[in-house]
Amino acid sequence: MSLLLASLGFGLVTAAVLAVASVGFTMQFAVTDVLNLAYSAVMIICAYVAYAVSRAGISVWFGVAVAAVAGALLSVVLNRGVYTPFQRRGTSPIAIVIVSLGLTLILEFGLQAYVGGNNVSYRVNQGPSLHLGGLQLTVVQLVIIALSVVAMLSVHALLAFTKLGKAMRATAADRSLARTCGIRTDRVVTTTWMISGALCGVGGSVFALDAGSFGATSTDLFLVLILAAVFLGGPGQSYGAMLGALVIGIGTEVSAAYVTPAYKDVVAFVLLLIMLAARPTGLLGSRT
Amino acid sequence: MVHNAVAGDRKSDRPARTALAALCAVAVVTLAACTNTAAGSSGSGSGPLTVADLAPFTGPDADLGPTYLASCFGATRAINAAGGVLGHTLNCKSVDTRGDPADAVPATRQMFASTSNLALVIGVTSDEAASVVPIINANKTVVFSMTGQSEFDSTHFDYFYRLVAPDLDESYAMVAIAQQKHYSKIALAFGNDIGSQTFVRPAIGAIKKAGMTLVDNETLDLQATTFRTEAAKIVAAHPDVILTEALGATAASFLSEVKQLNGGTMIPIIGTSATIAPAWYSSVSGAVGASTLASNYVADNLVVQSTGPAYRTFSQNLLAEKGKVGNTGNFNTYLTAPGAVHLYDGINLAALAMTEAKSTDPTVFRPLIEKIGNGVPGATVVTSFAQGVADLKAGKTIRYVGPGGPTNFDSFHDSTGLFEVDTYDSTGQVKVVGQLTPQELRALAG
Amino acid sequence: MGNGIVFYLTTLFVYAGVDILACLGLSQQFGVAGVTNFGFIIFQAAGAYTASVLSLPSDTADGGFQTYLGGWSLPFPLPWLGAAVIGGLLALPFTFLVGRRLRGDFAAIGLLVTAVMANLLVNNYRPLFNGSAGLSLVPAPLQGKLDPQSIGYQWAYGAAAIVLAILVYLFLRRVTESPYGRSLRAMRDNDTVADSLGKNLVSLRLAMLVLGGAVAGLSGGILVGFINLWAPSGWTYAETIVLFAAVIIGGAGNHKGAVLGALLVPLAFEELTRFIPPFGPPGLIPALQWVAIGLLIVVFLWLRPQGVLPERRRASVRFGGPPTATDSDDTADDLVLPGVGQPARTEPVAARPEPPRQPERVVLAADRLTRTFDGVEVVSGVSFGLRRGRLTGLIGPNGAGKSTTLMMLAGTLAPTSGRVMFDGRDITRLPAFRRARSGVLRTFQLASEFKRLTVLENLLCAVPAQPGDSFHGAVLGRRHWQAAEDQAVDRAEVLLDQFGLTRYANQYAGDLSGGQRRLVEIMRALMAEPSVLLLDEPVAGVHPHLAHQIGEQLVRLCGEGMTIMMVEHELAIMDEFCDPVVVMAEGQVLAEGTMQVLRGRSEVVEAYLVG
Repeated sequence: MSLLLASLGFGLVTAAVLAVASVGFTMQFAVTDVLNLAYSAVMIICAYVAYAVSRAGISVWFGVAVAAVAGALLSVVLNRGVYTPFQRRGTSPIAIVIVSLGLTLILEFGLQAYVGGNNVSYRVNQGPSLHLGGLQLTVVQLVIIALSVVAMLSVHALLAFTKLGKAMRATAADRSLARTCGIRTDRVVTTTWMISGALCGVGGSVFALDAGSFGATSTDLFLVLILAAVFLGGPGQSYGAMLGALVIGIGTEVSAAYVTPAYKDVVAFVLLLIMLAARPTGLLGSRT
Repeated sequence: MVHNAVAGDRKSDRPARTALAALCAVAVVTLAACTNTAAGSSGSGSGPLTVADLAPFTGPDADLGPTYLASCFGATRAINAAGGVLGHTLNCKSVDTRGDPADAVPATRQMFASTSNLALVIGVTSDEAASVVPIINANKTVVFSMTGQSEFDSTHFDYFYRLVAPDLDESYAMVAIAQQKHYSKIALAFGNDIGSQTFVRPAIGAIKKAGMTLVDNETLDLQATTFRTEAAKIVAAHPDVILTEALGATAASFLSEVKQLNGGTMIPIIGTSATIAPAWYSSVSGAVGASTLASNYVADNLVVQSTGPAYRTFSQNLLAEKGKVGNTGNFNTYLTAPGAVHLYDGINLAALAMTEAKSTDPTVFRPLIEKIGNGVPGATVVTSFAQGVADLKAGKTIRYVGPGGPTNFDSFHDSTGLFEVDTYDSTGQVKVVGQLTPQELRALAG
Repeated sequence: MGNGIVFYLTTLFVYAGVDILACLGLSQQFGVAGVTNFGFIIFQAAGAYTASVLSLPSDTADGGFQTYLGGWSLPFPLPWLGAAVIGGLLALPFTFLVGRRLRGDFAAIGLLVTAVMANLLVNNYRPLFNGSAGLSLVPAPLQGKLDPQSIGYQWAYGAAAIVLAILVYLFLRRVTESPYGRSLRAMRDNDTVADSLGKNLVSLRLAMLVLGGAVAGLSGGILVGFINLWAPSGWTYAETIVLFAAVIIGGAGNHKGAVLGALLVPLAFEELTRFIPPFGPPGLIPALQWVAIGLLIVVFLWLRPQGVLPERRRASVRFGGPPTATDSDDTADDLVLPGVGQPARTEPVAARPEPPRQPERVVLAADRLTRTFDGVEVVSGVSFGLRRGRLTGLIGPNGAGKSTTLMMLAGTLAPTSGRVMFDGRDITRLPAFRRARSGVLRTFQLASEFKRLTVLENLLCAVPAQPGDSFHGAVLGRRHWQAAEDQAVDRAEVLLDQFGLTRYANQYAGDLSGGQRRLVEIMRALMAEPSVLLLDEPVAGVHPHLAHQIGEQLVRLCGEGMTIMMVEHELAIMDEFCDPVVVMAEGQVLAEGTMQVLRGRSEVVEAYLVG
């Protein structure tokens, strides 16, 4: 029982990290129609940006904020420099996915060429381990969960209550219709890259904070978890991604406790395949 | 996907030109192979000889290649300073296998094709040994391999030599350390790569034989980034000690989580000799703290000298080459790392064998490796290449005993020495804290 | 050391053969059929593992240092055959991923995730294939009889790999250059339209997964027989990206391009970098190598998306062979369609048929069809019948549900409730491609030509029951289907003549003007000789004069017994040709009758005015 509770707690931490990253990814896809597989590469670059900040002796939490800015900038640059020109040419979605794979190689191994193959850790005191009704979490892990909840609430507020959020939803539903309704879709798309990029930056740095030790290629497998969460919830569905992250996060940790941990990520994959077979539009996707 | 159909269409009128380009590409590859070799073979009379470090420089085991390269730089520096081998200077060349057998085979073939002055191969880890050792053997080139795999315990290859411990012995050594320290509840946490998983089965057998209890056995997926549940399971099993080897970022993440979940106190760990490596130390000490690591970590290692003339020559030459293999952490760790010490000995053994045989032809000098390594009655012990050459000139028979201690090749060219217990101090220097006797190990063998 | 070069050269030959095979398999899937298989490498891995366990002795034989399934010590060439067979069979479980329901890029992501996870599983589950250590000591083919390390053996191995690559190249070319291959390319260009023309997308895609998988499996079998070791580190998903880079650079859809790509990327690029003298810290060169591959992919997709050797245009000699460059330049403008009308006049176009005395049999009927999207009823309870030999019009304001109704009749969209009856049978559950095969064909509101098929190929694509339009037929070869093809070309020639597009027969349909493309679509539908033709705004954007010609053609076809329904905004066309006309508004049928009658009804006029 205690193991179950403990693994539930760990699942929450994994889910928290996954949720931030997945919501950014799915928002990007919904509004811009780009399945940006280079997302994980941007994440790890941002993680290194936060690392540089922490190396300079500044608090790593400030590093997280800097990583958010870096993620936003880099994502906008990727969009302006690569994705938008390809889309303007009428390149098919699948070719854009291949472009994003190419970008992944460029960014990730460019980073590796720069920082080398060694693994690094943030200088951060994990704080005491707290026991909360059977959950066993450190202060840092609690802060990660809190950060994630705040991010999710902000996304919710943005989508539900602001003019920008409505414009984003309209653009996601039908870009040309949104344009004829007077929405400046180009601006909406750029803003979306910025917001989702910031989420990507936060996701990358809390991922690294959570991982303890990381290197330039550490997010490779994490991308698969993001994809699983996103597709589980329904591609393009922000609330779906949150739900998917929760299912995957808890599913992988609980299965690690009760099956062998070596297969914990395989659980995410099995969930995803079942979902693609049974309901290609995901848990919260529409049925058409 | 391809939308620019009209443009494509016009270009398609010139398939001949592009086919020509393809032909050229093939020709370039062939030419590159040939010219390189041609240049080499013309100078094979007195030009330099090459020692190739055939090992992973990329992939999860990317730390291994540079370690061996450091060893090669040190050994060849000492040999060249003593006039080289029969007038040839030695140089080092790295050949990347990427830790992938499918990459290792062409890499090995290319190495032979492009290195006409190849004198010796070192490296060859468990990642690629099974696919490349037969090729190297067929090319009649001597190889000092780093694999501990059991299939080489009883398979004979004429040109294959091994100065590192077989994985079986190392598993027993780790359990023997636990025995010495009177631990009774043991947990295992090994990476899911072959280099690490190979220890699990013999270790479990030895734990049983020693009358200790195996309380948990976790396999760590090297691609995963957190191991909280694995760590929680281990902590919940309340082991006295964790036997572990997990390379890359895994060990650091996992051990820091163990410490966290154990209320901030580290559970003692016993590592394999592969954990005596600068990269392992820098990532793990970064994650759990240098002093915590120093007080809770030991590892088995083959006895290597840390004083004496052999060690002095070794350390001087190795340290003189510091910086040539990139920034991989504390360079001093190489002075104890098995890959660095034993391959240094291997290169010296081969160089002395060539000198005594007055030939760089492996078919001629190969038998002398055993003779100089194992020694014959009445042989003079030498501790460096320079000393060996001097004694050979003086007409003496010699036995080489380097920083890795005395060599005892068996009929499969395996040489296993004595085991010792190492740890890191709080500044990251490796120090010896105990010894293991052959009897202790034999008692644990299944 | 001369031997060193020889051994390296033979290694290069073997790897060239293996890489060419892999790239051909991928090119067939991705370039020809448009199936993006990001999990391609697991098929090669499956072949390699199969060949290994078929040729290895039982796992207790080598002192038990490795564990694996099987171990049957089968003699050569059974391991290679097994590799190809298992590589192909492995595709079957993926049927659901490439079905009609899943977007192509989503399926690709599913396959990518599968590849990563399969590697993880094999890596961690030792009893399967010895975990991360992989299988070693895999016997080389004929190991007992010949010496694998001899130069003769090495040359023979290289030659065998190259010969197999050539055979596979010839086989794939035979498949691709057949009517079946044309259907594959049609699916690649526009799968919904191919579906509506009677192509079974699931079966086509599955066949490509199986075929590509078998080729990949064979390549794995050849590779493992040579390197004698197979481990998970050899088939990470990054290897698939390298193959994609090769196919994109060489030229997707052109098998020669795939061969070139295989020689340029996995072989030349990877091998040449071995000769670079080392610089920088260890690991820098390989990292830069990956960066270079990424750059190659992005730069090529931008500068030369069609690759070094682009897909060849299949120009028919009957229509003057390959057109010259100038031909494609003077693409006619919508308003000046040369030749339209004149040839049609030489063909005796029947005068407008006399209105029939009594109502004919209803061929296709909508029976209380209803469709909701997100809870909103777009079509509610629509019922009407299409009578044989009639040109029925369907009009209504924007959002009336006309196109949705047409889609439900054609089977491209399933109704929420209600039935579709065809010749008295309930076909509501029949998928689009089956309806098309039984004679109910639709066209599309938006341009739906197969862009990278010539006009002639677009037409030939729709020919029903072409013996070469199956995998089996394609394999049997040209002799099996050439006669049917010639007949189809004859028919196409007549149609091209009637519609005045003969001189464009060898142009890519995607290069024509908007009006011409509409004509291509109508001609393509007619090639199928449907009994019911459902046209979605066939004359939208077409010059009135041409629209009139099209109308006349349609009426003539009705006179020959065809049943046609036409959704249209152009009331002039309705006035002139359609009888009866069905009016829809807000998802319901408002009225039905001749245009004269309808114009007199106030609610119809109102609906249009309000709408």
